[in-house]
Amino acid sequence: MDMQFGVMLRGLFDWDDDMKVRFNELMEQARLIDKLGYDCITKGSHFSTYPHQEMTQIPFLCRIMSEAPNVRLNAGIVLLALHNPMEVADYFATMDLMSGGRMIFGCALGYREVEYKAFGVEKGTGVTRFEENLEAVRRLWTDEKVSMKGTTFELDEARISVPLQQDPHPPIWIGANADVAIKRAARLGDCWYLNPHQKVETLLRQMDLYREELEKHKKPFPKELPIRREVFCAPTHDEAVELAAPYIKGMYDAYKTWGQDKAMPAEDRDITQEYAELARDRFIVGDPDEVAEEYVRYNKELGVNHIIMSVQGVGMPQGQVLDTLSLVAEEVMPKVRAA
Amino acid sequence: MANIQLGLMTRGQFPQGDDMQLRFEEMFEQIRLADKLGFSCITKGMHYSSWPLQDAQMVPYLSRVMAETKNMRLNMGIVLLALHKPLDYAELVATMDVLSGGRIIFGAALGYREVELKAFGVQKKEIVRRFTENIEAIKRLWTEETVTMKGSFFELDEASCSIKPLQKPRPPIWIGANADPAIERAAQLGDCWYVNPHSRNETLIRQLEVYKRALDAADRPFPKEFPMRKEVFVAETREKAIELAKPAIGLKYKVYHSWGQDTVMPEGDNNLDLDWEELLDDRFVLGSPAEVCEQLLNLHKTLGVNHIIASVQGAGMPQSQVLEALHMLGEEVLPYLKNA
Repeated sequence: MDMQFGVMLRGLFDWDDDMKVRFNELMEQARLIDKLGYDCITKGSHFSTYPHQEMTQIPFLCRIMSEAPNVRLNAGIVLLALHNPMEVADYFATMDLMSGGRMIFGCALGYREVEYKAFGVEKGTGVTRFEENLEAVRRLWTDEKVSMKGTTFELDEARISVPLQQDPHPPIWIGANADVAIKRAARLGDCWYLNPHQKVETLLRQMDLYREELEKHKKPFPKELPIRREVFCAPTHDEAVELAAPYIKGMYDAYKTWGQDKAMPAEDRDITQEYAELARDRFIVGDPDEVAEEYVRYNKELGVNHIIMSVQGVGMPQGQVLDTLSLVAEEVMPKVRAA
Repeated sequence: MANIQLGLMTRGQFPQGDDMQLRFEEMFEQIRLADKLGFSCITKGMHYSSWPLQDAQMVPYLSRVMAETKNMRLNMGIVLLALHKPLDYAELVATMDVLSGGRIIFGAALGYREVELKAFGVQKKEIVRRFTENIEAIKRLWTEETVTMKGSFFELDEASCSIKPLQKPRPPIWIGANADPAIERAAQLGDCWYVNPHSRNETLIRQLEVYKRALDAADRPFPKEFPMRKEVFVAETREKAIELAKPAIGLKYKVYHSWGQDTVMPEGDNNLDLDWEELLDDRFVLGSPAEVCEQLLNLHKTLGVNHIIASVQGAGMPQSQVLEALHMLGEEVLPYLKNA
């Protein structure tokens, strides 16, 4: 089957970790990912991540362009309600140019109080800002010059500073957890970027919503449908669980303190459960056969054809990350492609 | 010995219709050469909606080119800070500092263009307050674990900078300033005033006194590193240098004038809509390598600047001429500046 294999470099580390060392490790991961024939490298965006450290998305993606010359580079996702459309449109135009047209523009609302406050954005205005910003970014990318009055900006014959490489623009993926956000993704995005936190069962229910909304707006089902998932692969099932579980559990405890659960639909909101319960229908952890079967199931049940794996939870040692990247490339990819 | 550092500004601005992929490859070639020749830093400016020029955005650009150079510092010269949010830039710059191995210089200034202010939803009357608060917030985010601070347009509520800069306590802050009050602000808020390239030397000599008085008033010493940006045109002879400069300067300053740069410059020195011969007078470094040495040393002697950042490529100047100029600067001018 047709399937793209992406990797998310989360770049999230303990507060007292040496980030220079960690960065060199991420560069090593990026080179390996590129060499093994993966399709994209993804970097997320969060601000004020204490008690964790995180590298910032745009500089990180630009720095690894030279280390990973073949993969697509996915800004997955930009917290678009916080930023200014002129800035975002221009940054991505420069990035698309420097990468030879390899950028993917992921965006979503964001949900953390500390981020909204720091950017001077009232929480109740998030949706308006998101929609206006996305319209402005799209117009800046496609129109020669743009005049548009938003609630927090005014484009007065404004233009982006370099032309885009991709025609008509980098793909716009919209991250969404809640039902209303998924409807927005159908209406405004090139595709819904399915989230890593929800169970497949929930996603199946939401996929119907997504399809209905696409039809309502007379938009075809997207050719590319991506999803992010926690993925870990080891020679045996038990080994995979033993190696991955503590780090994945740690990530979900961090998400809980950030308030991620509040942005999720009711049925999936409890993310503080024991690992085994949390993992069910949510994480892809196992031996190569199991992982390949899950990839195939995701494609058949949900229609996704680009699975972006997050491997490294906070504190997971480099060797373990490199091993799983190699194993997925050598044993999972061929199986999925042959399915 | 004077030991004057020489940096390179790759402006990255090109006429419409130019193949930007090709221009980028050329800029990377310039950067690798400058690194080899011993230039001190790569500088990139920031503008939005730069029509009729094409331009690259500073943060992505510097983040990408750091892979092409091992030695040079990376100068964000300058960030239009009144337009942006402090947590955003604290984290961007800190990440760039870590990724580059501690080579970032954070240059900041107000910004002045109507199209930019509007696009960012910033009123002209707010820009000084925004700038001042942003600088304070960024300094605190870089050096404190969590920060609580209420600005006029942001609120840090136990916010943390997700990654701390590699340079301790933080990267140097250079403040770009044209007008006298901005120079006073640079003395109060910055590690140094980043002297602008547009004013005449006689104007700058007067403004240096403004700067020194403001430093004294703030009880701060004269900075160890005192940088300035200059347009530098070097060729075998002065005549050839003038030929080199003519088209580049003419177009560039017409554009600045149309952007309104001159509206923020001191009285008597604020008409940029001049013929290029008049612009040449006392404003640019131009001539044979020996003459350029002389002029740069003179800037050091009269103003005290010890880090000169040369803009070499005027809009439309072909790559071969740029590389030739870099060779002359690196091989004939730099050794002289180091031992002057």
